[in-house]
Amino acid sequence: MSKIKKIFTNLRVIILLAVILFAVVAVNPHPFNKGVTIRNVILNSSASLAGIESPKPTASPMSKERIISINNKPINNVLDYYSFEASLKQNRTVSIKTDRGTYRLITKYKTETIVLNETINETITHEVDVTEIVNGTKVNKTINKTEVITVPKTITKVYNDSIDLGIRVYNAPTTNIRKGLDLQGGTRVLLEPEEKISADEMEIVLSNIKQRLNVYGLSDIVVRTTADLSGNQYILIEIAGVNEEEVKELVARQGKFEAKIGDNIVFKGGNDIPYICRSADCSGIDPNTGCSQTNGQWFCRFRFSISLSPEAAERQAELTENLDIVTEGQQDYLNETLDLYLDNQHVDSLNIGAELKGRAITDIQISGSGMGTTEQAALFESLKNMKRLQTILITGSLPVKLNIVKTDAISPALGEKFVKNAFFIGFLAIVGVSLIVFLIYRRIEISLSIIITVIAEVILILGVAALIGWNIDIAAIAGIIIAIGSGVDDQIVISDELLRKEQQIFFNWKQRIKNAFFIIMAAYFTTVVAMLPLMRAGAGLLKGFAITTIIGISVGVFITRPAFAAVVEILLKDKL
Amino acid sequence: MSEENNNNEGRFAKNKQISKLLEGYDKNYKKLLIIPIVMLILSIGVISYKYSTTGDFVEKDISLKGGITISIPSKDVDVDSLKTYLSSEFPGSDISVRTLTRLGEKIGITISASDIGSNELLNSLKTKLGDLDYGVEEMGSSLGKSFFKETFIAILFAFLFIVIVVFFYFRQPIPSLAIVLSAFSNMVVTLAIINLIGVKLSTAGVAAFLMLIGYSVDTNILLSTKVLKRKGGEVIDRIVNGMKTGLAMTSTTVIAIVIAYIFSQSAALSQIMLILIIGLLMDVLNTWVQNAGILRLYLERRTKNE
Repeated sequence: MSKIKKIFTNLRVIILLAVILFAVVAVNPHPFNKGVTIRNVILNSSASLAGIESPKPTASPMSKERIISINNKPINNVLDYYSFEASLKQNRTVSIKTDRGTYRLITKYKTETIVLNETINETITHEVDVTEIVNGTKVNKTINKTEVITVPKTITKVYNDSIDLGIRVYNAPTTNIRKGLDLQGGTRVLLEPEEKISADEMEIVLSNIKQRLNVYGLSDIVVRTTADLSGNQYILIEIAGVNEEEVKELVARQGKFEAKIGDNIVFKGGNDIPYICRSADCSGIDPNTGCSQTNGQWFCRFRFSISLSPEAAERQAELTENLDIVTEGQQDYLNETLDLYLDNQHVDSLNIGAELKGRAITDIQISGSGMGTTEQAALFESLKNMKRLQTILITGSLPVKLNIVKTDAISPALGEKFVKNAFFIGFLAIVGVSLIVFLIYRRIEISLSIIITVIAEVILILGVAALIGWNIDIAAIAGIIIAIGSGVDDQIVISDELLRKEQQIFFNWKQRIKNAFFIIMAAYFTTVVAMLPLMRAGAGLLKGFAITTIIGISVGVFITRPAFAAVVEILLKDKL
Repeated sequence: MSEENNNNEGRFAKNKQISKLLEGYDKNYKKLLIIPIVMLILSIGVISYKYSTTGDFVEKDISLKGGITISIPSKDVDVDSLKTYLSSEFPGSDISVRTLTRLGEKIGITISASDIGSNELLNSLKTKLGDLDYGVEEMGSSLGKSFFKETFIAILFAFLFIVIVVFFYFRQPIPSLAIVLSAFSNMVVTLAIINLIGVKLSTAGVAAFLMLIGYSVDTNILLSTKVLKRKGGEVIDRIVNGMKTGLAMTSTTVIAIVIAYIFSQSAALSQIMLILIIGLLMDVLNTWVQNAGILRLYLERRTKNE
């Protein structure tokens, strides 16, 4: 009995227990957590109108809002949620209960809305409380007041076969550990600039990509740079939970905009275009051509005006001076067109009016088109294209062309299976190792201490990961395996150095502990220095592995190993 | 010490057979040293042959070569019919379809191709199999190449740093170099065996080689500490003493890794485990025969010079 007391009053063991407690709090495990957690809320959806908000991407997993039931029917997983959503009809009221409160939502059909860069005036009526003086007494009164406000114009496409509450969910997490993309599913894109760019330019590229992704309303996005040992630069984009083909295309697009006559550039995106019109009077579907149908396909043309810098206007004057005038129908045009290119791809060609010949005009109209099987679809597509072109012209072009060097789309089912499998393997491995240890030493105390320290170490590593917001992915799991493997090795060294008869002949207890830690520290330092070059190698693909290994073996060497040695000493010193 | 031994106990161990074996190990250490040297030379031969015929040290899989891998976690897909379907869809393309198994039970399939676009392949799979859970990984060939080169540089740096730390610890250049030589031959021999059994190396496999350096250095440091830093007994006693600890370390690690190899459901994890199993077994030879032999030769030379 006194031995147990001795163990729990030993300073090293107390430190270990305190740190484990701290790690458990950081991990915050709730193994029976049910429900679905909100990943993001679509703007203007039923959910966002009811006051449900998107969580911040930096929020820890357990602190994100969790849906418990809808209409008093418990929602236990993603399948429950989406099958419930599919059963809904339009214009009904549903009540969603989350861990923060209850919301009342009115169901709407699934829609796809794009916010245009132009604005419109909208008349709205709302109630205001006013105080009037009637016959010398103050009377509180509510009156309707009409106001005209300016709002961004939107266009909406309605899918009247399905209901969308506007919430994107995933199965509620049971701990604060952030799973890497390969364990939770999602899309990862690795981009490489075509030529080397400076740190400032890289900043521009990153903020530009973030801005473009924000335009598409995606949350839970990581955009960061990584490099490798040869100094190659990469940009890593991770979007959890979704598989967005369009995003891939959008982020890799340089947005290099050029207007050419023949092979000569008249103006480019950026400094040549100081102003881009986004209001309704000079941007939108072209009122002159509108939409038309040919061969069963609808075409809609958009246009918006821009202003050119004086230098660009001058260039246009020079290039048009020597062109010939041709007559087409009633109109006189120049014999060459102004060709618009986006990322070296032809977007549109514009006829140049004969009156512009040789003149430095600063106001120009940019146009393009959209295609669809119905007029509505073509209209939608056309405005989407306009919006994309405007976004690129406004956010500016990237200083360099980006190449997609690696993309991963990971299905969430694969990740879930992997985690379960990893736990199963871990459990069996611990059983196997403790059996072997028992066969070697024939002492149940050592096997038990090793099992306990291994479990303690896993908890500590996960605690550190939860605390610093480090993602646990497959590479990190490999790192944890290394850390635990060398942990078991070190404990065998301690046991052997302390308990072997040969050691007892030459060294006293203190020296034997010193001997053991000499070997352990040498092994620790060599492993750490071997991991250092990996942190920067190969576009950061091995960084997770290297960092988790270093965290794991450091935790082991400085916290669990001293405690293990103390426990072995207390339990077995007098038995020798 | 030897006086204490009675007839039932040998010099090094209680069990007579084991003790005999260790006596042989003691007497013939110079002859035994030939085994790892021959293996290293043969391995370099295998790798050079591979390099001269294919232009690469080892066969690389899609994740290092560039290309696309699609994994489908479904039991119901028939591999053979999928193979014939895909080769008729994409004639002349380099497509491989493999089954993922766990304990002999099929758990899914993976399809790899190096010269087809991901959308094309995915669309044709969807027409054949319908909407399933597809995991898609696409690696640009330039990144694969630079990743391999990068890891190579990282390993060189890792070796350099290890030499510095080990030299700082033992303050003797030859034993320090012997540790790195042991880790190096461990990697080379493992790479040669991987080549011979026809494993296609993936990025995960590269990580396994790095893990191997760590494990290999651990056992070698144990040996060097016992031989160089400890007093008492003869050198061979201290080596055998260290070997008991070292083999206990290796056997626990191997048992954990074999379990992981048998039950793993992920191709990446299986490859890591396979490489580690081979490497750890080779490490026994590299540490307790090669490095121990070199250390004994070194100590003999040193006492002679004194």
